[in-house]
Amino acid sequence: MITKRNTDALLAFFVAAVIAITAVFLLFPVIVTAFIAFDAREYIGPFPPTALSPKWFGRLFHDPYLWSGFKTSVLLAIAATILAAAIGALGALGISRMSPQWRDLVTTTFLSPLVLPGVIVGFALLMFFSAFIPLPVLPKLIAGHLVITIPYTIRMTLIGLTGIKETLREAALNLGANERQAFFTITLPLAKNGIAAGAIFAFAFSMDDVATSLFLSDFNTYTFPVALISLMRSKFDLTIAAAAVVLMALTVVLLFVLDRVLGLERVIGQDLYRA
Amino acid sequence: MNILELIDVSKNFGGFTAVDSVSLEIEKGRVISLLGPSGCGKTTTLRIIAGFTSPDVGTVRISGNDVGRLKPYERNVGLLFQDYALFPHMTVTQNVAYGLRHRRTPASAIPSRVKQMLSLVRLDGMEARYPHQLSGGQQQRVALARALATDPQIILLDEPLSALDAKLRLELRIELKEILRSVGATTIVVTHDQEEALSLGDEVVVMRAGKIVQRGTPTQVYEAPADKFVAEFVGRSNWFLGSRPKGLGSYVTGDGLEIRAASELPNRQIGADLCVRPENIELVDNATAKTAVDRERNALSGIVLDVAPLGADVHVVVQLAGKTRLLAVRKNVRGTPGLVPGQPVCALFSASDVLVFHDQNAEVR
Repeated sequence: MITKRNTDALLAFFVAAVIAITAVFLLFPVIVTAFIAFDAREYIGPFPPTALSPKWFGRLFHDPYLWSGFKTSVLLAIAATILAAAIGALGALGISRMSPQWRDLVTTTFLSPLVLPGVIVGFALLMFFSAFIPLPVLPKLIAGHLVITIPYTIRMTLIGLTGIKETLREAALNLGANERQAFFTITLPLAKNGIAAGAIFAFAFSMDDVATSLFLSDFNTYTFPVALISLMRSKFDLTIAAAAVVLMALTVVLLFVLDRVLGLERVIGQDLYRA
Repeated sequence: MNILELIDVSKNFGGFTAVDSVSLEIEKGRVISLLGPSGCGKTTTLRIIAGFTSPDVGTVRISGNDVGRLKPYERNVGLLFQDYALFPHMTVTQNVAYGLRHRRTPASAIPSRVKQMLSLVRLDGMEARYPHQLSGGQQQRVALARALATDPQIILLDEPLSALDAKLRLELRIELKEILRSVGATTIVVTHDQEEALSLGDEVVVMRAGKIVQRGTPTQVYEAPADKFVAEFVGRSNWFLGSRPKGLGSYVTGDGLEIRAASELPNRQIGADLCVRPENIELVDNATAKTAVDRERNALSGIVLDVAPLGADVHVVVQLAGKTRLLAVRKNVRGTPGLVPGQPVCALFSASDVLVFHDQNAEVR
């Protein structure tokens, strides 16, 4: 019998089912990867592994090729994050003070790299540097990573800044602080969360980037994901799975630290609409 | 001595004139209410005094000094924002101390001053709390303490009571007046709420469309409004619009009712708008009315339309002959016979309680 109560129950069940399937779909690769990273077999056999062994992690840590890539990636991510956060914060501050007609134009310009495929960014930068400014590889990589991360730092900082009422700055000015003092005592501390959120995205995208880094890396200087792909082509084994688990663990640690320091809900904007 | 002088101040935004040639002097220690509807220019005037906007024309003087070129942080003007604008990442103490720290008060003097201010607003014990841990009334007090801490020459309050519920509003209103009086602060209260304006100010300045329309004590503004706008904006009123003069001291309304009024318009040829305050209307039954009518009193018969007992007052709406309705407000005193809708009744009010204004829409005969 079709009643409102029945259709409600059906809908609730359907929604729950969709959520469950999505969760499984998202977690399944993670779980499988974690398992095969401990696979004792020398070849890639059917899942589940027959025996477990941590040997792939040993191979990972002793492979100079991958280690070099990892160190480069971390160095790059830190450098790019710091620069992108600074540029993004200042840029967002400037944008928030602009008149409405300029604001949208400038924001769109800064956010435009998001619509470009990573390969285009990498290729274009490579051509540009080769033609005009010869640079060593690491600065080129930093430049490439800045192009892809600055949109995130600007956007997250802007979101954070929007939540700061204009009257707070005016109150500071009224009480005797000049513009510089008002910025450092009021605006910056309150924008901290937005800036931090942008920095997290910047770090994550920098560590993760393949397309742009592929073009800008060379024989001696290359990033971790680029190293993994090359390894996969030459010698397809489970070191890759071990590397994936290491990266996932790194992310979990990062999130944990962030939650302790900033409170994760605030970083992702939970209190955005609170008056 | 005049703490504040605005001389012919005007401000335009695009094509819109927000403040139109406003001149105002305020003496030390006075509390002035700046009253007017939204868009009348009162907030812009406030911002000009505080220094966030500079006037296109005119001079602003504080304690005799021309402050036109001074930035907000170079003026010593206290400001209580409508949304309080407390710094959410700072404690109560840090909020109150902010002005002191940025105006180069010696560090040793700050803690005692903060303590003094918090005692003044009766918030001792709340020093370590954060704004989100305080109630609305408490937040307002912190904002007031913060504004007063630097001993400003003039303090500006932007709709101070608007964010509070009715009960709290009454309580804080009394406290606010006490605090301002004890500090001797020269104050401007900006509001669109006429009750707030009349209760807080020693004087009321009514603004409309960027201009000052009337300035006087609350009683003057209420009992002798300068024009129809002020009469309507301040307090409740009943109107007989588009009345024509008839004989001496008498008018005929659009519905043909005859009203006796004690005041006269200088030019009797022009039409008039008549106004009576609801509390000046007494409702009696028709029999009693006949004995009360004389040259000094008006008696209009009608039918009770609605009775709203609001606790202390009773609001009665009476339908007169024609289209006019009157609102009569009487005190809810025990023993007064109650009225019911549909009951015939007579509205009595004296000629001296009738306010007469020019009807701008009338033709000159």
